[in-house]
Amino acid sequence: MRPFRLYEPTTINETVATLSELGDDGKLYAGGTELLLAMKTGLLQYDGLVNVKTVPELEGVSYSNGTLTIGARATHSTVEHSADVLAHAPLIASVEHRVANVRVRNVGTVVGNLCFAEPHSDPGALLLLYEAEVDIASPSGTRSVSVEQLVVGPYETSLAGDELVTRVRVPLLPNGMRGAYLKFGYHHRPTLGVGAAVSVTDGKFLDVRLTLGSAPPKPTRMRDAEAVLRGAAVDDPAVAIEAGRIAAEGCDAIDDLHGSAEYKRHLVQVFVQRALAEAVERGVK
Amino acid sequence: MTQQEFNTVGQSVRRIDSYDKISGRAVYSVDVVVPGMAYAKLVPSPLPHALIKSIDASKARALPGVYAVLTAAELVNMETHYGSDKKDRPIVAMNKVRFQGEPVAAVAAVDLATAEAAAELVEVEYEALSAASDLTSALLPDAEPIHDSNYCHEYGYEWGDVDAAFAGCDRIFEDTFLFPMVYHYAMEPHTCVVSYEHDRIRTWTSAQHPFLVRAELARIFGMQLDQVQVVVPYVGGGYGSKSYTKIEPLVAALSREAGRPVRLAQSVEESMKTVRRHAARATIRTGVMNDGTFVARECLSYVDTGGYTDNGVRVTERISDRIVGPYIFDNVRVKSYGIYTNSTPAGSFRSIGGPQASWACESQTDIIAEALGIDPIQLRLKNLAKKGDEVRRGKRPLEGDLAPKLQMVLDKFGWDNYVREDPSPTVKRGIGFACNVTNSGASPTSTSLVRFHADGSSTVYIGTTEIGQGSRSVMAQIAAEELRIPLASIKVIGSDTDAVPYDRSTGSSRSTTLMGLAVHDAAVDVREQLLEIAAKHFETFADQIEAADGKATFKGESMTFGALVREMFGGSGGELMGRGYVTQNHASGRLTQDPVFWEVSIGAAEVEVDEDTGTVKLLRYVSASDPGKAINPKQVEGQDEGAAMQAIGHSMFEEMLFEDGQFLNPNLVDYRVPTFEDLPGEFETVLIEFGDGPGPYGSKGVGEGGIVCVAPAIANAIFNATGVRLRELPLTPERVWRAIEKSKQ
Repeated sequence: MRPFRLYEPTTINETVATLSELGDDGKLYAGGTELLLAMKTGLLQYDGLVNVKTVPELEGVSYSNGTLTIGARATHSTVEHSADVLAHAPLIASVEHRVANVRVRNVGTVVGNLCFAEPHSDPGALLLLYEAEVDIASPSGTRSVSVEQLVVGPYETSLAGDELVTRVRVPLLPNGMRGAYLKFGYHHRPTLGVGAAVSVTDGKFLDVRLTLGSAPPKPTRMRDAEAVLRGAAVDDPAVAIEAGRIAAEGCDAIDDLHGSAEYKRHLVQVFVQRALAEAVERGVK
Repeated sequence: MTQQEFNTVGQSVRRIDSYDKISGRAVYSVDVVVPGMAYAKLVPSPLPHALIKSIDASKARALPGVYAVLTAAELVNMETHYGSDKKDRPIVAMNKVRFQGEPVAAVAAVDLATAEAAAELVEVEYEALSAASDLTSALLPDAEPIHDSNYCHEYGYEWGDVDAAFAGCDRIFEDTFLFPMVYHYAMEPHTCVVSYEHDRIRTWTSAQHPFLVRAELARIFGMQLDQVQVVVPYVGGGYGSKSYTKIEPLVAALSREAGRPVRLAQSVEESMKTVRRHAARATIRTGVMNDGTFVARECLSYVDTGGYTDNGVRVTERISDRIVGPYIFDNVRVKSYGIYTNSTPAGSFRSIGGPQASWACESQTDIIAEALGIDPIQLRLKNLAKKGDEVRRGKRPLEGDLAPKLQMVLDKFGWDNYVREDPSPTVKRGIGFACNVTNSGASPTSTSLVRFHADGSSTVYIGTTEIGQGSRSVMAQIAAEELRIPLASIKVIGSDTDAVPYDRSTGSSRSTTLMGLAVHDAAVDVREQLLEIAAKHFETFADQIEAADGKATFKGESMTFGALVREMFGGSGGELMGRGYVTQNHASGRLTQDPVFWEVSIGAAEVEVDEDTGTVKLLRYVSASDPGKAINPKQVEGQDEGAAMQAIGHSMFEEMLFEDGQFLNPNLVDYRVPTFEDLPGEFETVLIEFGDGPGPYGSKGVGEGGIVCVAPAIANAIFNATGVRLRELPLTPERVWRAIEKSKQ
């Protein structure tokens, strides 16, 4: 790996100022689990890395008024073991528990994961299910966008070069809504992740959220598939099959080492049905 | 000798290297620091097949901190090529490159960062040639020749009247099976430090065969064997990837150029571009009678040896040796070809040609059984070779009956009482079985030296490389047993060619059998000397003296072995030396025929197949390990489970992928090796100890057997579960799903 300088700011302002100064020659560095792999192979090269882990303001996971807040320094492990997450959104804890492996979870951060925008990854599709938003700081001020707007493509976000995501805000699922998240794959990175959240009244789907990760180029909300479910009978298997079919058709999958696009679309079909069934079952319990 | 009479042999004693490895005291090649040492970085070819038009290293050489850049132009006053059977591998690429990642140049610099920066400054101009990175494209008539042709080696044998036999068969089956390119993934990538000096070469390297590396370096640089020292510290896994000579000549040449010691510590990616297992395409044609009698077999195999031969000659031969299976055929015609392709050179890998051969022949056994309506176990038992049968004509007969060994595995598995319970209509379960015998042991050439000290302790010198298999512990156990001293009084000195006597190699499951015999004989030599001294002391004959617990006893009077040594030298010091020579003429008479022994492999699997996704879950795997006599049973089980686990990789998901010669997944994120999550739900090893091996105490090797039968056992279980037959590895979910979908049409 080509040598680089490591900057260790202690405030958000200093962080974004350093980033701004470095321009294209610098990059934010949190866990480094993706970035350093790419730098080791020479795929990415930077003169300076700006370490967010030295900024105390970016620490931690907290809960208040129906919203979980995950700071930019919070690792997957921190989220996985957070008492607040376990109490208010155990689904997030259980998915985080199965992100990569324990070594990655101990150093990799949730925010870093979103910002690297590796398509084969779970947190994006999971956080879409919660309609999560991120807060962004830059030398010119702050702004917020949804996770859906943050990630725009493979390894691509809507962030400017001097912007720092300071935290993710995760509103809990509305009352009565239960979620499930299923992942599939035999590589180290997932081949597919499907999130489903449903509320059920009188045997019918009242509200539904369906999200898809890893198979498409970016985490995707499957609104067309959601639409056919709303108001439909929960115990009608044809409805879930139809939702799966629509989701599969809408999935912009490509052929890669994880498999053919055709196979991935088939998996979407299968796992949309399975995730819906699991979410419904959790609601019943 | 019955089992009760052993002291340490047969005991799962704690490994003698455990403290070193747990405390971090163990030295590996990467830990070696030689004063003045430079750090090396390779300049790999980005193209899989190209002519080298020019190399300009002037900018790299001008970079401050750079000591030397090695290119083909510097390979003067030395041999330029190396290789175990064919010396077709240039030390750095000469005139052309034959695979992506082939070193075109190498830089030595004051530190790694400087070496890396300099490597990027080496300018190479290529003229691209069309690349063939798989068997099919390399065998096309108009394929660009990689060497003089794309054929590396040809092998075959025949007995009986094959054509007439096929004509007389009730049924003929013909199937083609594909085996992928796979990488060993030893946790330690290839690492080497060489100090080239005008009158000697000192080498520290992660090599399985230090004496063959010594011979190769001596030949390349025109030195005598005594001028070349090869030290092998602890090795972080071999599996064949560190067999023969790999990066040592390049590092030695770079050290000569730099005028100082040079260290090259490869990355995993660089090691994945150093060596791999041969991909294979094997076609088997088998003629049988309706009652299941095997009559004739014809096999045609192609193995993909990559850009250079490496161990391609022997692998081409072994796949043919091993593809007939453990069965009796009166008519056999076998042929195989080693083929060059523009991909990582392929070398040894735990049971060379064995998994490829067994994947084909043991999958077909079940295909035949299904077609004839015969139980697959009964079909095997009907045709199985027996003790004394020449399972390959002209070779060593089988040491023991296979049928009782198979039965032990079936019993442990509960095969006969298996009741299938599918969890759901689309999630199905099934069981599968496979077995084979493989010719193992390589060449019977091993020596050992045992020094016996004046306090009754002993130092054992062996050329066997400790690659994690536990050879040092086993050799210590054998020495302690024969010297009649406690294990704690034995120290084993490993591979340093300046200190330890010759051993051909560490591989082919040979060490316990062959080095074990050498250590055994050397220890017996010492014991006999001790008894002679004692006989003089007690004024009797040697055979009247009992040697046990570190003492010689005659009529109730004892003398410690240490005291005997001191008495012989007439003072407080002195030592005895014992030697063990193992050749094919070994006094036991058990090594006269090739192979040294037949290694037995047996496996039974239960799988669960999710037909909606194609996911195969390995619920149970029972493997057999047939050490004849387990000198350290826990280590035997470890070898067997490790081998089976490694096979789960090539069975389920491991595959090196090339597209137009570009290596698509040269890292451990995209190339998936098994982890603990992939352990079978239940995982058992059956130890078979019939004392029928040629090694000490009736032992024989077990390092490879566990890897041989996993893939066909799993595929046979998938067939049992789903009725779908797979002929291509690995059995990825998509491949299984597609096969299931196709069967529905």
